[in-house]
Amino acid sequence: MNDSSGRVTGRLFSGLSMLKSATAMAMAAGLVLSPLPVLAQSVDLSQWSPEYIRSIAGTLEVDTAAHCADVVPLDYAGRVSVWWTGPNDASPEIERRINDEFWAAWAATYPNIVTDAQNIAYNDLLDKLRTSLLGNAGPAVVRLQILGGVEFGAKGYLQELVPEDVGYESANFWPGALKSVNYGGASYGIPTNNETMAFIWNAKIFEDAGLDGENPPATWDDVVAYSAQIHERLGIAGYGLVAKQNAGNTPFRFMPTLWAFGGSALDETSDAPTYDTVGLNSPGSIAALQAAYDMYVRDGSVPVSALTNTQAENQAPFIAGQLAMMIAHPSEYAKMVDLAAAATGADQEVANEVVANMRYGLIPEGPARRAVVFGGSNIHIVQDEYVDGGLDEMAAKALICFWTSPEWSTKLAWTGSNPGNLEGFRTEWMAERLDTIKFLDVTTSMLPNGIPFPVIPEAPEIMNIIVPDMLQNALTGAMTVEEAANDAAAKVEALLGGL
Amino acid sequence: MSIRTGHKTVTATPGLQSQRTSLLQQIFTKRADYLYVLPALIVMLIVIAYPIYYTIELSFYKTPGNLQMKDKIFVGFENYVTILTSESFRDVTINTVIWTVASTLIAFFLGVCAALALHREFTGRGILRALLLIPYVISAVAASYVWKWLYHSDYGVIGALSVQFGFTEEPINFIDNIHTVLPSLIVVNIWREFSFAMIMIMAGLQTVPDQLLRAAQVDGANTWQRFWHITVPHLSGVSMVTLLLLMVANFNSFIIPWVMTGGGPAGASDIWITQIYQIAFGRQRWGLASAYAVILFIVLMTLGYFYVKALTRGDEARAG
Repeated sequence: MNDSSGRVTGRLFSGLSMLKSATAMAMAAGLVLSPLPVLAQSVDLSQWSPEYIRSIAGTLEVDTAAHCADVVPLDYAGRVSVWWTGPNDASPEIERRINDEFWAAWAATYPNIVTDAQNIAYNDLLDKLRTSLLGNAGPAVVRLQILGGVEFGAKGYLQELVPEDVGYESANFWPGALKSVNYGGASYGIPTNNETMAFIWNAKIFEDAGLDGENPPATWDDVVAYSAQIHERLGIAGYGLVAKQNAGNTPFRFMPTLWAFGGSALDETSDAPTYDTVGLNSPGSIAALQAAYDMYVRDGSVPVSALTNTQAENQAPFIAGQLAMMIAHPSEYAKMVDLAAAATGADQEVANEVVANMRYGLIPEGPARRAVVFGGSNIHIVQDEYVDGGLDEMAAKALICFWTSPEWSTKLAWTGSNPGNLEGFRTEWMAERLDTIKFLDVTTSMLPNGIPFPVIPEAPEIMNIIVPDMLQNALTGAMTVEEAANDAAAKVEALLGGL
Repeated sequence: MSIRTGHKTVTATPGLQSQRTSLLQQIFTKRADYLYVLPALIVMLIVIAYPIYYTIELSFYKTPGNLQMKDKIFVGFENYVTILTSESFRDVTINTVIWTVASTLIAFFLGVCAALALHREFTGRGILRALLLIPYVISAVAASYVWKWLYHSDYGVIGALSVQFGFTEEPINFIDNIHTVLPSLIVVNIWREFSFAMIMIMAGLQTVPDQLLRAAQVDGANTWQRFWHITVPHLSGVSMVTLLLLMVANFNSFIIPWVMTGGGPAGASDIWITQIYQIAFGRQRWGLASAYAVILFIVLMTLGYFYVKALTRGDEARAG
């Protein structure tokens, strides 16, 4: 960590310490309100802070094979098919390497289980799974984004599954994550990884635009103002808005703003959400939409291509020094390092300068709160009748035990996420991550601010289609901000009404 | 002969009986021919007829997002009413008509021009012909991504060049603007399809009798008269087939709009097929999407009927 980023992190954490008590209270409240049983935890969430995470990292030694052998014997012979979204060309090289190591370790641990693993693109996996299940040709195991599982659980495609089924304790998973796999009182999956994103900015661009390079915008109003100032003074894009239709990146970046302004899709921000009231046309939601409108239309301070961009399209302008701010994962830093290494000549000079000036901070606050999407993935077992060739339950459980172990849930989340199994925070690999991954503490610090998407089968349609539609209707001028919000709210109401 | 059907007794006329016998005799006589086409027929029944039947059946059901397909709810024609009375259907239909008609006519016109130009002997004709075929042979997905980057609103090559040469002050917003997105996609579609029209018309030009053109020239007909009175009538059959094939392909276009814009922004480039995909796979309204697909199927079958008529016109004339 260089000096400047060290200063940033220091300031950040002094700011964070003020938040700690609130955080602890929020976590405690979350645990109390959770309908799930609260068991003894090996990781104390009420103490969650960067210092606490660092203090527990490396205190636990694990033997994954020995643990999973108690669930499924290591000489078990069978077959398992699995679909998931793994590393792709846009992922840091280290993610691809760890992925290869995982499959090699799995094959060495359970040599007699024939495995058919398909790495399917993020925006394709849900469609492909839906289609395959209609034809009883699904995989035995599927890992889905946190938003995805409940739809299939509600339809009866998934087998009930709790951490105890593969030898772990529910208490060692985030309550919010367990809630995301719970529908109608039954649990249909196990969290593999959980993460929250952070705010990333280029300190040099800030300084060139006359802003304080070492301090991120504190509020979303500041983001709008900073973005306008950067665009006005330097002629480049300020904030990396993402508003593509039918793409998961859009709600993950817009909902934090909406929640921060006091808005909501349903009532997911309340302590005990019932998901039966629509909040997309609330004053807070309209204010958030207005902020996006101000940046895109009034100030023209964000990429014009935001309407067709996913986060992947923000990477090139950011590394080229043409974009100042964005919301992303901790893996973004590793990706930028990879991109800089791959660049040549003058481009490499620019890229190296961007990497040196890359800063991570907490996502800005709004009038109501600081918020971020509680993201991650869950792993599920598909019911026997929908599995192509039938379900080998033992083989499926062996794979899930291996995948959700403290060891592999940590390793597989190396730069992009955090272990779903909280025991992973206590392993040597977590200590290694903290030592080697810049800004990891910042993103893990956002976890207590995480708000899960509504846990209802209609959530993918609301988040991936209706919310991006609302943004596009407002940003293209097809509707006014209020009309777009009302239109989206009406669509959600119709959807919940069983249209 | 009397046949009992339920409560009624109908009497088959001797003419009908002889027709039936004759048909059976024909089938028996040509049994080898029927056997040859039987495998293809069976495959067609499995991969085409059944999905069509299932789509039609599904179009009468509601498939809520929280229910499995087997629990679908019968709603009669409600899906059709929902679609035909929705505002989005009107907008999407307008987009589809603009997309199909503009793409078809302009691609056809450019194809004809290119074919006529390449029909003449000149140095480098072979190379030019090969170059003009590239858009047609290139993968539509790859082409869409390339065009997406050419059009990119912030860093696109076209926008950069227009600024560099002083045509515009800002890069042109092709695909992130509700007014320019559809014309921009149509340009890509035309770029891809005109070579197909060119190939078809070039093949048609081979059938224009050379002696007729020379005779007309001897009789004093100028270039335009020879083209209009001899070439065009000879191209009418192939032109009709080309136009119909282009129209069917354009009604069914999916790759270019989906890859480049996903139907956006704000639905401005949504056409029937992207809308069907979105309703089915994005929103899982399988019943509604099926009803949409049935409507599209009817339109395409109508076009298909005219295509077959155009294709068999020569055969009928010869048989007559």
